[in-house]
Amino acid sequence: MRDLKPWLELILKRPGRLVMGGALILATLLSGIGLLAVSGWFITETALVGMLLAAGVAASINLYVPGGAIRFFAVSRTVFRYLERVYNHDTVLRLLTDIRVTLFQSLASASRSHRRQLTGAQWLSRLTSDVDALDTLYLRLIAPTALAALVTVLVVALTAALFDIQTATLIGLVLLAAFLIATIGTYLRTRQLAARQSDRQESLRTAVIEHIEGFAELTAAGRTGKHAAWLMRQAHQVTSEQAQTDSRAGWHLAGSHLLINLTAVLALWAGFALFRAGVVSGPVLVLLPIALLGVAEIYAMLPDAFGKLGATAASASRLNRDCQADEPAPDTGAQGLPANAALLATNLTVKHPGHAPLFTHFELEVKAGERVGILGHSGSGKSSLADVFAGLLPAAHGKLATRDRVYLTQKTVLFEDTLRANLLLGSPNASEAELWRILEVVELADRFAPEPDQLDTWLGSSGSRLSGGEARRVALARVLLNPAPVVILDEPFTGLDAGTRTRIAKRMALVLEGKTVISMAHGPDALPGTDRVIHLRG
Amino acid sequence: MAETGDINSPTSQQAVRQWLSELARGNRLWIRSTVVAGTVAGIATIVQMVFLARIIHLGVIDEVPVADLTPLFLWLILAIVIRAIGQGFQTRLAARCSEQVRRDARRQIYRHWQATGPVALGQSSAGTLAREWIDHVEALHGYFARFLPQMMLSVVVPLLILVLVFWLDWLAGVFLLLSAPLIPLFMALVGMGAEKLNQQHFETISRLSGQFLDKVRGLTTLQLFGQTADATELIRKRSDHYRRITMKTLRVAFLSSAVLEFFASVAIAVIAIYIGFGLLGYITYGPSEELTLFSGLLILLLAPEFFQPLRTLSQHYHDRAAALGAGTEILRRLTTPVDSHRLSETADAGSAIDVIELDSVSVAFQADQEVLKDVSLVIPRADVIALTGPSGGGKSTLLHLLAGFMAPDSGRIQLFAQPPGSFRFGWLGQKGFLVQGTWADNLRLTTPDASDIAIDTALRNVGLGPLLDSRREGINSLVSEDGQGLSGGQARRLSLARIFLADYDLILLDEPTAGLDSDSEVFVLEALHKLAVAGKTLIFSTHHQALLTLANRVLLVSGGEVRNA
Repeated sequence: MRDLKPWLELILKRPGRLVMGGALILATLLSGIGLLAVSGWFITETALVGMLLAAGVAASINLYVPGGAIRFFAVSRTVFRYLERVYNHDTVLRLLTDIRVTLFQSLASASRSHRRQLTGAQWLSRLTSDVDALDTLYLRLIAPTALAALVTVLVVALTAALFDIQTATLIGLVLLAAFLIATIGTYLRTRQLAARQSDRQESLRTAVIEHIEGFAELTAAGRTGKHAAWLMRQAHQVTSEQAQTDSRAGWHLAGSHLLINLTAVLALWAGFALFRAGVVSGPVLVLLPIALLGVAEIYAMLPDAFGKLGATAASASRLNRDCQADEPAPDTGAQGLPANAALLATNLTVKHPGHAPLFTHFELEVKAGERVGILGHSGSGKSSLADVFAGLLPAAHGKLATRDRVYLTQKTVLFEDTLRANLLLGSPNASEAELWRILEVVELADRFAPEPDQLDTWLGSSGSRLSGGEARRVALARVLLNPAPVVILDEPFTGLDAGTRTRIAKRMALVLEGKTVISMAHGPDALPGTDRVIHLRG
Repeated sequence: MAETGDINSPTSQQAVRQWLSELARGNRLWIRSTVVAGTVAGIATIVQMVFLARIIHLGVIDEVPVADLTPLFLWLILAIVIRAIGQGFQTRLAARCSEQVRRDARRQIYRHWQATGPVALGQSSAGTLAREWIDHVEALHGYFARFLPQMMLSVVVPLLILVLVFWLDWLAGVFLLLSAPLIPLFMALVGMGAEKLNQQHFETISRLSGQFLDKVRGLTTLQLFGQTADATELIRKRSDHYRRITMKTLRVAFLSSAVLEFFASVAIAVIAIYIGFGLLGYITYGPSEELTLFSGLLILLLAPEFFQPLRTLSQHYHDRAAALGAGTEILRRLTTPVDSHRLSETADAGSAIDVIELDSVSVAFQADQEVLKDVSLVIPRADVIALTGPSGGGKSTLLHLLAGFMAPDSGRIQLFAQPPGSFRFGWLGQKGFLVQGTWADNLRLTTPDASDIAIDTALRNVGLGPLLDSRREGINSLVSEDGQGLSGGQARRLSLARIFLADYDLILLDEPTAGLDSDSEVFVLEALHKLAVAGKTLIFSTHHQALLTLANRVLLVSGGEVRNA
């Protein structure tokens, strides 16, 4: 439950909207209860007066007040319900924005090594189902719980006012029991089942994906049946636990309804004694039990929400774990850098947390304006080394001093946005002419000039409208645009054929004139022009 | 679910509904029991109201002493208890029903995967297939657990109430009945609204998530260029923009449920006022003279219960939309045609036990484009065969035929006198495959009873020894620790280790060295050499010179023909 705290604080940053939304729900509920209670009062009153009239006794009844009240409640219930739904859904969407922005900010302030490496599917479930669980926290859980408590207090107060304290206390106690059964009771009984639900589902997903990826091998080995049966059992476990959670919440709902109905019986029983004693009138005697029956409506939302609270807390805890890091990226500055050097690595140890070091006692000095090539086969650790140079991976030991640098990562990362937006990341103030010039360097000018939208051509999901080689060149162009004096390129020419590679390398040399270039590749022909080459043996 | 638009086309929606009702038919016992439990709860509610009204009438009008009402109070409590039990069982049975339905749906999908076979299945991404099998099947839950039983209950319970109200006072019954023809109208309105709402919500969420996900994935890049603040602002702006668009739709969508709410409220108000005036004797025609506090109060108490099942149904309407959306996707998968004769071949006794034999085998993916044309081939046991030739020339197709992953359009294939795919063999695809777990788990996947020593040996045979030695618990340590997986080459070697362990007679390999770094390449070559020496029949496709040398026969697969190179 502690995991929910930061999110609750975020939600509570909009107290005005929350109170207003709650007030609208309350007005809806009270209108509903009022409609039935006043109608019950009215019918009883008219029945009694009608009897007197039939007996020829002169009697009068004020028809306007109850009639007006009934009409008012009928309309106000509808109007408030509508307003409440519109207003509160707007709040939920606002909260969704808040949550996304907060998440992104905390992710952005963490260095990459502190961010958990999650698969696409895992991110998707964090950002959809986990965030969803939180943005509806107010509407599903907080508001109904607060209002159920408030309505309960109001009804008990009404009982005290119309009947007596004794009856009110008794009814209050039974309603308290109903409240506890619907809320905390449901939570405690479903907490564990609900909390492990999504973890189970996630590991099931991993298992299914593995099964499909190994489908050919498993088919060949004649093991698909056995493995599939195992998957079915896992899936069935997930669903049957979910069914268990559902039916427990269902029983709790039934239990709390039972108690609420019993309070109506109780009110009637106690009311008769007061009625015969002449303390209350017939219509008032009828009003209270009907009002109590109306309380069930707000209680009906609680068990389901509390049955999911365990899962919501688990969602919050996952988001806290995966999307929040308090350690900011350590910046390796230019301190201790000799005047003519661009990068100086002293006694560097490169390792990923929890793994054996890739390099120890690594020494390198790169002079300003020098072009260094670093060669190593895949798995030799050259990308990790590039990460350290770029400041993405903190050195486990030793010292690194560099000037400002820009880094082309081995993985091509483009955004679902226009070509222009993707390029401007490298240099936000670059002019149109500069963008075209750089596109010419990477031989993409001819590719985009005929496009109807030219620089505003939309690059689809992960740059999917481009071929691998084209996407690589956009990423390269973005790095070339950046004014930083040190340029780190990890496999800059992935996906390009030899001819294109040579031509681009030649033009790049002109653009990079005067800059320090450190490029990494698996073979010499994949490097741009270099002054010296270092071979890595991991 | 990018193609949710398709559910609007009548034929496919009809097919989806049919599929859903087939699933329901298979579990009708559960659905019926759910409805029965709901009906019991509904009847108990009616009985509860009858006793409540009766007690009030006797106490207030006839001024019967409380003590004399005790039996009626006990009956009332009994009705309330039965109502609660009915309610509880309704959710319990509904949950069980949906559990069964989801199991059935998953079985169906899995059977389809198996019928499709590895080659055709590989056309879809593993993520998509897993989403269908897990999430889309989950999306059926609400429909079977809530919507479907509630749909029946929203007919049964109001009908029971209507009959009772008619019996009590037909004019009040007419008021309720008047709203009855409006009910299908409500339903359509609510349905349209809810469907639109659901679609809109779904689209917004997925589009927003897509963009957000895109930014999160590229966060390192944004950090490298110092652009995170701008990106945050962009996320805020877009998110807010979508809020405004969504709210526009919601304002309309919520109107339809407001209509239902309005009619329910007005019906209650009208009935209350009618009964009141009737009891006063102001209404001089119709049955109102017969009205008593009992009947009047009972009608009033039943009026909200008349509308309640419909209101519940409208709350569950999005479950239906969700199930239809997910059902469309699942059905699209289930209706993809499968290679039906893939597994239907029978053994041919006439074939020699010691050879692999292809007899005028032809395969065409399109009518006029034959990948393999009338290929006949005999491969003796323990041969090492390299298949070479241009990409797209049919090497992979030939391997898939031998593996039984697909069937030829014509011709006959026999492996050691058995049809392809009818016995266990080794397969190494271009991507290695590993599961989360230990090294031992990974190897026991295909050879469950392998000893620790055998596993260790197999891993060392493919050059994974040094990696294994660096792990504290050897073969019992996790393959990917701290989320750092194996490189592509290491993963393929792990797959190769499985083949070593299993001791298959026949091993088929698709480009076993393509894209490997030089280290892995050496180990794979060495391993294949060991397998060849051990007398296994090896057939692989390759361009790699060293592998071609390893083979004792090289076949050129090109232009639909296979000939010795």
